[in-house]
Amino acid sequence: MRQREGLVGLLFLSPWIIGFILLKAFPIITALGFSFTNFNMLDPAKTRFIGLTNYLTFFKDTAAGASLFGSIGFFVLSVPVEMFAALGLAVLFSSQRLKSKLLLRTLFFMPSIIPAIAIFFIISGLTDPGSGWINRLILTPLNLPPLIGVGAMFPMILAVWTIGPGFLIMLGAMQSVPPEIYEAARVDGAGPIMRFFSITVPMISPAIFFSLVINIISAFGGVALLDRGLPFNISLSPMEGYISQQMFSYSDLGYASALAWVMFAVVLIITLAVFSSARYWVHFPEEADNEEF
Amino acid sequence: MKNSSLRGLRRFFNVSALTFRLWDFTGTAILNFFIWIAVLLYLSPLTYMAITALKTKDQLSDVTSPIYPAVMEKFTYQGSVYDVYNVPTDEGVKQWALINKYRTYSEFIDPANPGAGLIRWDGSWRILQDTYRPSITFANFKNLWQSIDYPNKLRNTFIVVGLGELGMFLSSIAVAYGFSRFRIPGGRFLFFLLIATIMIPDSITLVPTFVIYTRVLGWNGSFLPLIVPSFFGNAIYIFLLRQNFKTIPRDLDEAAMLDGAGPLRTLISIILPQAVPAVVTVGLLQFFNAWNEMRMSSLFLGTRQDLQTISFSAQAFVTFGFTPEVLQASAIMLMAIPVVVLFLSQRYFMQDMIVTGIEK
Repeated sequence: MRQREGLVGLLFLSPWIIGFILLKAFPIITALGFSFTNFNMLDPAKTRFIGLTNYLTFFKDTAAGASLFGSIGFFVLSVPVEMFAALGLAVLFSSQRLKSKLLLRTLFFMPSIIPAIAIFFIISGLTDPGSGWINRLILTPLNLPPLIGVGAMFPMILAVWTIGPGFLIMLGAMQSVPPEIYEAARVDGAGPIMRFFSITVPMISPAIFFSLVINIISAFGGVALLDRGLPFNISLSPMEGYISQQMFSYSDLGYASALAWVMFAVVLIITLAVFSSARYWVHFPEEADNEEF
Repeated sequence: MKNSSLRGLRRFFNVSALTFRLWDFTGTAILNFFIWIAVLLYLSPLTYMAITALKTKDQLSDVTSPIYPAVMEKFTYQGSVYDVYNVPTDEGVKQWALINKYRTYSEFIDPANPGAGLIRWDGSWRILQDTYRPSITFANFKNLWQSIDYPNKLRNTFIVVGLGELGMFLSSIAVAYGFSRFRIPGGRFLFFLLIATIMIPDSITLVPTFVIYTRVLGWNGSFLPLIVPSFFGNAIYIFLLRQNFKTIPRDLDEAAMLDGAGPLRTLISIILPQAVPAVVTVGLLQFFNAWNEMRMSSLFLGTRQDLQTISFSAQAFVTFGFTPEVLQASAIMLMAIPVVVLFLSQRYFMQDMIVTGIEK
């Protein structure tokens, strides 16, 4: 009976298991293989094993190093902003006094689903030297030099407009905290700030952790919950842009694979650090049916 | 703050009920006012987009034109059309139509009183500002509709979105059900593997996937690379659905099983009806992702104009040399359907997404 249950369960898992082998495990191992070769799209016949040469090239390639630091820099700058903005917004929304919450919630979430290319058009209009609002309404009245181009504004707006999923996840978690706990703390004389740090934060810490994970993934150019459709050439993660440049402009798949593995290692280190820190600040609820596995 | 603590405060400070109610009302008003200001600021680029899309090209190139959509005031005099300017005179600023332009003086007609004849005004007409009246135009949308084959792009988008949804429903729901309800040998390890795949950056699988799709499977220039992966389940959707299925009590599905319902029947008739918000959420995430998708399209559909989706084909607008007002109109056309879908489904979207722990 139990064996049969396991088999039926595996049958339900089979699409994902097949997908995992074909779409994840196999490409990852192949990428590792490619990274030790000089595989070039234009001349596949000449492919041969070149050992660690690609990885050694990376350490000499200042452009690659700069792009990696750019990626880490974007992660360091954008993720805390996204996390704190989402958390602050969720706190405001958990107030009983706020009216028309459903509409406001959707309005704050809305920018998170706008295609990247539409945002690109909006920002290029906003920063237009003649008619853009940034120049007309802010810079010209203050006698500041006009701002030209999408450059700095684009990642900024993109980061600020990506708080939606984190906000809704944290808000959902806040609303599921039993009100009795707050009531008990209030009876004990805990003020709003004390209640926030000693009840809200620990109770919603799994949601904070989950939002952190999805924000890390998107900061490094991956897609976790919502895809804005960032093309490779305007990726927020400069390292990813550099990899696709090696791949599509130079057709150097061997080097591109090696770079992807370097980036994977960096993301892995950050992820492992975040996951191992979780032990100290994330309070995972006890699962009643834990023994089933 | 809840009312009970405010009541405590009130007793402490011995304030009257009226003062208390006033204070309560003011606090609520300040909070709501603040949040609406915040949302207006947050969405101000979209306000810019909406307003600019309704402007004419002429207005956009005139830096002294108003912020709102408007057209230049014109006046027809003796069969010809003349521009109306704001003319400063001794009796205040007048709106007069400019008839004859000279270097040091010009001649105007007062549109309110054309019978009075030409009025001479000393000064250079070039310093005068045009008069505008509010008016919106849909010409930018018409212009876009004519330069892009929208019905074709919409059809492609709906094929990619629709088949992606189908794949998601067939696979992710089944896999989440498998993870949430069955004792599977090595199930914990498989679930850990599932979580681990969420963390793998796309760029690592990009090179081999690209080579396999183009060289081995020959999928270059087809929808398949955009659609087929969704039939193998998406790790994050599986995770979200599995978390939700776990909160559904097992009593009902065990009762159904005892009545002789198979696992598939239990999933469809017992689990899914109780997981509507979660399934809607995941369906919407898949919809938004497929609508915005750009990477796979850029790899495999770059040369196939006839197969490109709306979002992907919009990339080319930059090279068309569209001016800002047309680009804003195109941004509206890109986001209109997803935004409408979001508003229609706001009651369900991410309402039940209570994430409790990833390491389970």
